[in-house]
Amino acid sequence: MALLEVDDLRTHFFTREGVVRAVDGVSFSVEKGKTLGIVGESGCGKSVTALSIMGLIPKPPAQIVSGSVKYEGRDLTRLSERQLEDVRGREIAMIFQDPMTSLNPTLTIGTQITETIRRHYDVSQKQADKKAVELLEKVRIPRAAERLGDYPHRFSGGMRQRVMIAIALSCDPKLLIADEPTTALDVTVQASVLDLLDDLRHEYDMSMIIITHDMGVVAEAADDIIVMYAGQVVEHATTLELFDNPEHPYTEALLGALPQLEGANVREGRLTAIPGRPPDLLAPPKACRFAPRCRYAGSDDCTEHEPELREIRRGHWVRSAHPASERAKTPEPQQVGS
Amino acid sequence: MAASTPTGIRDEGLTVEQALGAPGTPVGQSNLWKDAWRRYRRNKAAVVAGTTFLVIVLYCIVWPIISPYSGNEVDFSIAKEGPSLAHPFGTDKFGRDLFTRTAEGGRVSILIAFGATFAILAIGVVYGSISGFVGGRLDNGMMRFLDALYGLPYLPFAIITLAIIGHTDKWTMMIALSIASWFTTARIVRGQVITLKENDYVRAAKAVGARWYRILARHLLPNTLGILIIAIFLELPAVILGEAFLSFIGLGISPPDASWGAMAQEGRATYRTHPIEIVVPSIAIASLVICANFIADGLRDALDPRTKET
Repeated sequence: MALLEVDDLRTHFFTREGVVRAVDGVSFSVEKGKTLGIVGESGCGKSVTALSIMGLIPKPPAQIVSGSVKYEGRDLTRLSERQLEDVRGREIAMIFQDPMTSLNPTLTIGTQITETIRRHYDVSQKQADKKAVELLEKVRIPRAAERLGDYPHRFSGGMRQRVMIAIALSCDPKLLIADEPTTALDVTVQASVLDLLDDLRHEYDMSMIIITHDMGVVAEAADDIIVMYAGQVVEHATTLELFDNPEHPYTEALLGALPQLEGANVREGRLTAIPGRPPDLLAPPKACRFAPRCRYAGSDDCTEHEPELREIRRGHWVRSAHPASERAKTPEPQQVGS
Repeated sequence: MAASTPTGIRDEGLTVEQALGAPGTPVGQSNLWKDAWRRYRRNKAAVVAGTTFLVIVLYCIVWPIISPYSGNEVDFSIAKEGPSLAHPFGTDKFGRDLFTRTAEGGRVSILIAFGATFAILAIGVVYGSISGFVGGRLDNGMMRFLDALYGLPYLPFAIITLAIIGHTDKWTMMIALSIASWFTTARIVRGQVITLKENDYVRAAKAVGARWYRILARHLLPNTLGILIIAIFLELPAVILGEAFLSFIGLGISPPDASWGAMAQEGRATYRTHPIEIVVPSIAIASLVICANFIADGLRDALDPRTKET
């Protein structure tokens, strides 16, 4: 049994303008000790998916209208707020995008770590302090014992994200959800934080969900990847398979938009972009949601019937009427991607 | 590591080396209250007002203990005397030493002022934080109720409260003065809580399992503390004046007990022939009110540096 099984999750926002289907039928599972990457552009429902798992979506206006989130067999969507509070931090922890604002500026780092420890474990302040120092050393903060009494403003962005990781790990969760953990960080710092996350994941034998819009991040860290578009999963495969044989036109376009520094596909001049913009989730396209931006749309009835998520190869799921391997004759000569 | 330089360097005229010490040594912590105190000291008016305030309060507390007279000691042989070495403020028509009596009256006035102010804050914080934290329909209901209460005039309401309770002493005065004046504090706290609860660190705290009372007590209310301290000194003058007014019109503290308002009321009878009897308590009231206002001003600059950095 997988550690986390998300089945047909639908989280909708009931706003004055109408119903926004931020997450619309998302299913995936995370195995023990594995890392799942969720990629997609802004507003595709990545973060709302994560917040739905944690039960942290703002209600109202948001609501999980259907589907289940099974963690070790327990459906988290049916738990009471009190039961969820015991799961958060202890079983599933989450780190957020912006480390500059995710720490309370008026409390010391030590307080913020030990409070989390003492929330879930019945230990004395002394023991909690000791554990906090160990955690800070684990996330490679120099002179950890001295820095316990420091306030967050004395830490750089990268160090604060390390502190956030330390807090997330403080109660030995089995699943860590990292919502764009490196987006707000400097590129050089990004790499070290990602390395750290990966090392700690092995050390703690955790499963991880990494949410990002950076293909480079998931390529290194994830075992499996799901690509989301407009609230739906459009492609789901192992990392190698996805990068080697992308099937969905959107995934192809995403990979094609990456700058290449070496190899056969080095391009001169401007980077490739995906034309158009993501659909308005208040009124998404009736059938395939990517159709308005898809270069293969229009050749048949794919703008009329919504394509199903189907297993095109073993372990490779795609939601498109025109996956790469079924395009015998490419309508356009130029093939994007690798 | 030494990236965050203490903000004091520029002001204290230190070089970076002096302020930070030798390379490698830990940076000295400058905490919020030290910073606030430094900024407060730069506001000269606030320093003078704060000192005066403390002197007045100390005088009221200490003088009655060491004074050779009692404020209620009647001695008609020295009635209506002017200021002298023995009686710096003179005596009233019963021969009571005004210097001692002013201190004793000040004790009552200041006690009522602080008591009522803390009651106002307590009610306001509880009401405002519940309203803001829970939000939604409850918030809406509580705020509409507050809007309705806002129509109540403060002093008439205090008078009615005193009439309902039936007797007047320090404690009933506190109730009367706070019962219709906590609305603004409640609104301020609600606004703050609503702003603060949207912070990422509140969400981060929820993500590690923090319960609502912890979030409220740890992440929301401490961050309203600065505003509350300012609110104390903004609320004090209104309460001091309210107490003085009620006592002056004879509804507050009544003779022979003293409060500044009651003393001014007694002095009113002889203001032509012996004006010092009304002048002394009036000046006392006025100076405390003015001081509180200047202190509030200084605290605002000290605790919320974004408003003005002079």
